[in-house]
Amino acid sequence: MHFVVCAKQIPDPETPPSAFKIDESTNTVVPAQGFQPVLSQYDGIAAEAALQIKEALGDEAKITVLSVGAESAQAAIKQVLAMGADEGVLLQDDAFEGGDSHTTAKVLAAAISNLGDVDAVFCGRQAADWDVGQVGLLVAEALGWPAAILAKGVEISDGSMKTTRVMSDGFETVSQALPAVVTVSNEFGEPRYPKLQQIMQAAKKTVTTMTHGELGLDPSEVGSSGARLKLEKLYIPQSDSQVEIIDGETPEEQATNLIAKLVADKVL
Amino acid sequence: MATESAIHNNRLQSQLIGKWWMPAIALSLGGLYLAMQFSSTEGAGRESFFNVAHPWSVYVFMSSLVSLLVFGLVRHATLWRLGKETPESVFANLPHRFKNVFRLGVAQDKVRRDRYAAVMHWSISSSIVVLTLVTAQVAIEDDTPLNFLHGPYYLFFSFYGDLFGLIGLVGVGMAMWRRYFVDFSRIRWDERPEDHLIIVGLGLVLLSGFFVEAFRIEVTELTQYPDWAKWSFVSYVLANFFEIFAMSDNQILWSHSAMWWVHIVLAFSWLALIVFTRLDHLFFAPINAFLLRTDSPGRLSTIPNIEEQEIFGVGYIQDFSWKQLFELDACVRCGRCTDVCPANLAGQPLSPMHLIQDLKGHLASVGPSIQKTGNEGGDTRSVSPISMVGEVIQDETLWACRTCGACVQECPVMIEHVPTIVDMRRFLVMDEARLPQTAQAALQNIEMRGHPWSGTALERTTWMDGLGDVPIFDGTQDYLYWVGCSGSLVERNLPITKAVFRLLKEAGSSFGVLGQEETCNGDPARRLGNEYLYQILAEQLIGTFKEKNVQKVITNCPHCFNTFKNEYPQFDGHFEVFHHTEFLNSQLQSGALKVQYDLPETVTYHDSCYLGRINGVYDAPRQILDFVPGANIQEMQRNMSKGLCCGAGGGNMWQEEVGERRVNHVRSEEAIATGASKVISNCPFCIQMFEDGVPAMQPEEVGRIEPFDVAEILELAVFGNQDNLEEEITEV
Repeated sequence: MHFVVCAKQIPDPETPPSAFKIDESTNTVVPAQGFQPVLSQYDGIAAEAALQIKEALGDEAKITVLSVGAESAQAAIKQVLAMGADEGVLLQDDAFEGGDSHTTAKVLAAAISNLGDVDAVFCGRQAADWDVGQVGLLVAEALGWPAAILAKGVEISDGSMKTTRVMSDGFETVSQALPAVVTVSNEFGEPRYPKLQQIMQAAKKTVTTMTHGELGLDPSEVGSSGARLKLEKLYIPQSDSQVEIIDGETPEEQATNLIAKLVADKVL
Repeated sequence: MATESAIHNNRLQSQLIGKWWMPAIALSLGGLYLAMQFSSTEGAGRESFFNVAHPWSVYVFMSSLVSLLVFGLVRHATLWRLGKETPESVFANLPHRFKNVFRLGVAQDKVRRDRYAAVMHWSISSSIVVLTLVTAQVAIEDDTPLNFLHGPYYLFFSFYGDLFGLIGLVGVGMAMWRRYFVDFSRIRWDERPEDHLIIVGLGLVLLSGFFVEAFRIEVTELTQYPDWAKWSFVSYVLANFFEIFAMSDNQILWSHSAMWWVHIVLAFSWLALIVFTRLDHLFFAPINAFLLRTDSPGRLSTIPNIEEQEIFGVGYIQDFSWKQLFELDACVRCGRCTDVCPANLAGQPLSPMHLIQDLKGHLASVGPSIQKTGNEGGDTRSVSPISMVGEVIQDETLWACRTCGACVQECPVMIEHVPTIVDMRRFLVMDEARLPQTAQAALQNIEMRGHPWSGTALERTTWMDGLGDVPIFDGTQDYLYWVGCSGSLVERNLPITKAVFRLLKEAGSSFGVLGQEETCNGDPARRLGNEYLYQILAEQLIGTFKEKNVQKVITNCPHCFNTFKNEYPQFDGHFEVFHHTEFLNSQLQSGALKVQYDLPETVTYHDSCYLGRINGVYDAPRQILDFVPGANIQEMQRNMSKGLCCGAGGGNMWQEEVGERRVNHVRSEEAIATGASKVISNCPFCIQMFEDGVPAMQPEEVGRIEPFDVAEILELAVFGNQDNLEEEITEV
């Protein structure tokens, strides 16, 4: 068995609001000083799902981590390697920059095809920076494989993948033939803490880098040239709040006054 | 001024406790003097083995005992030898070690922390020592050419023999009183049959000794030399009592002979208990005093060349150092450690005494097979059928430890529980990656963001808002003011950081801060067991300090203080480190800082573990409070070296507590019980724990005790209340 985990490096979601800056002229996020980019939390959970299945199979599986990103994304790949993944490939190319979910999925799908013998792909439910949540499905689309999204449980046996999906009103269990794609949700559980021995081993592993040429991709179909989505405007919303304390001697009176006020303001 | 006298009283008390045995010595010397002056000493003396048929049998007993002792020692030592080398040589710093043997072993400093036990234990131990000397003198008199047991010395000898026999009986009585007649629970937490054997046995040995002497006196001295007999004052009284029965000389001689045998058999049997019971502390306690670390108790050992290790921390009994294994045998199950353990007080799953005893049991059960397998060249780690970490000692037990050092402080046989616990945590975290989710989140946050405060919305520079020009340390200033993660990233602590800053500025100190360049110094990682992460952080920060030419550091937090002061020297980081209370106190003493405003309130002071117990800074914060006009300190029941942890130490700031209660609730209750209006501390973690614990224990907001840092109080006394402060700042 060969599994792929897709991992994205994102700006730290815990960057304090005061340090979060946007360059409105280029529609880009200015990297906050002193805050290192991190592995998107959902991708860590996807890695955990793949690792648990690998263990359930008696370690008879290989896990490859793929990431589309800059040189710094090596750190995100190493983090998944430390958790127990076997190999890492960084898909790094100037041509990939400025893409959208569609082009990212195209690059990942090309890399998965390139690996050849992949049985299942594990993605996070969405990246914690843009929160779009499309890449997993688009990878499946590009590969022509079935996909299940928002999984809280994944099992693999007898050539099929069984997932328990989180629905708005409960859970749904679906089964799909391998090869298949699954996006894993936070309900799955927390990713593991790496053992020191594994951290050391991961540090010694080399992450291979691949560019568009090696993947057989034309620069025009990836990155900003291939993107279907155009970012019109990126800005930090201004939130204004005015507080008014409602008068009243008793709670009942305060409630009555509050309702009167809400009605007057046409909220109710 | 109340505190100064409190400190003074405390010292005086400990000095008095230290000298309480003086009367016993004075009495002995008085006896010697009187014996010298005594007129009818001519010919005083006695036949050593009077009325004893086979005196040589004593030597048979003696040699059996010695063989037994050697056997016991070898049996123990083979198990200790399974352990690894100690991190520091036990022969380094010898004068300090011999001082420890005298202070902690002979003078029993730690035993004296419980005053009742101090009197009881000294009575018993001094009696055993003196009576052994008494017996030895009889042997020398009888079996060597030396003859000295006659004349005045014989009378004095009779006197102190009886005196210490009586003292021993008093000790035994006190021990029996605690064990059988009062509700004194800690000695019954792990009570075993041997405990009764030891105490009742010793009572019988001493009593039978008096009986033997009384029977002899009845025959040889009572009528013939009544003046001599009086020197053996206990036996004299006893002999007079026996006269009531009007036994014939033969009957008395028979009783004497029988009682002599009873006494000898009992005495040697009792001494043989050293081999089989906790009485072995007679030797192990002073030896462990010698082995006790000579550096700070706030320093954990490093794992050298960590990247080349195969197993991290201690998950197998043979991975402890031989000293740690030796300690297991030194434990006397007195329960003092568990009695003061904050986790135990809150009903959480940790009892240091049981932890040590469980490890001792494990060593005894698997040690011999490990040794055998090792000799045969097999894999010693696969010998034990159960895992030491996880089964013998459960994970939750290890996580409940606050590393507060209260157990280590109290242990009368100098066991160091904390390093042993952290060694096993290291195994859990680095080898097994098995740790509570919340602890994992804190560690991962340190790895990813350089601080343990996951989810904070603050920046390291947020506290500077409204303070005007905050100098950044550039190597030209004298001091680096180290704010720390908690001082800058936790809302509650910002006023403390600001207060220290304003006071430093007011005192005209030359200092700067690092601002964005600060990063976790590794303390939480090290205490949670991730030594690898700690070493990375420590080496990084030491590099930064050296690059910026940092020489002197003032810290907000006692944990940062301890790490810089005691642990960075292990990585060649040598800095002069001050806690803010030490520095601000020095500024008050020198007159650089002046208080102007009254604070007419009763306050209580909470010693943080890492400033107080572990680094011995008790006076500076109290002296600052003494400077504040009107402030009156009402100490909590547990204070100074006996202070109780707030519950946050050892990484427990970031863990869910498992157990009946939360430690901060227990400590908050103690603070509330003083009736003070403020509970004052010196540590951002303690303050946070009180902020959380006080409302839980005192739901009514009116009249609720308020947690404050020493610096905040001093700020009020120097600048007046907040309104004044804001005005002053706007003026600036």
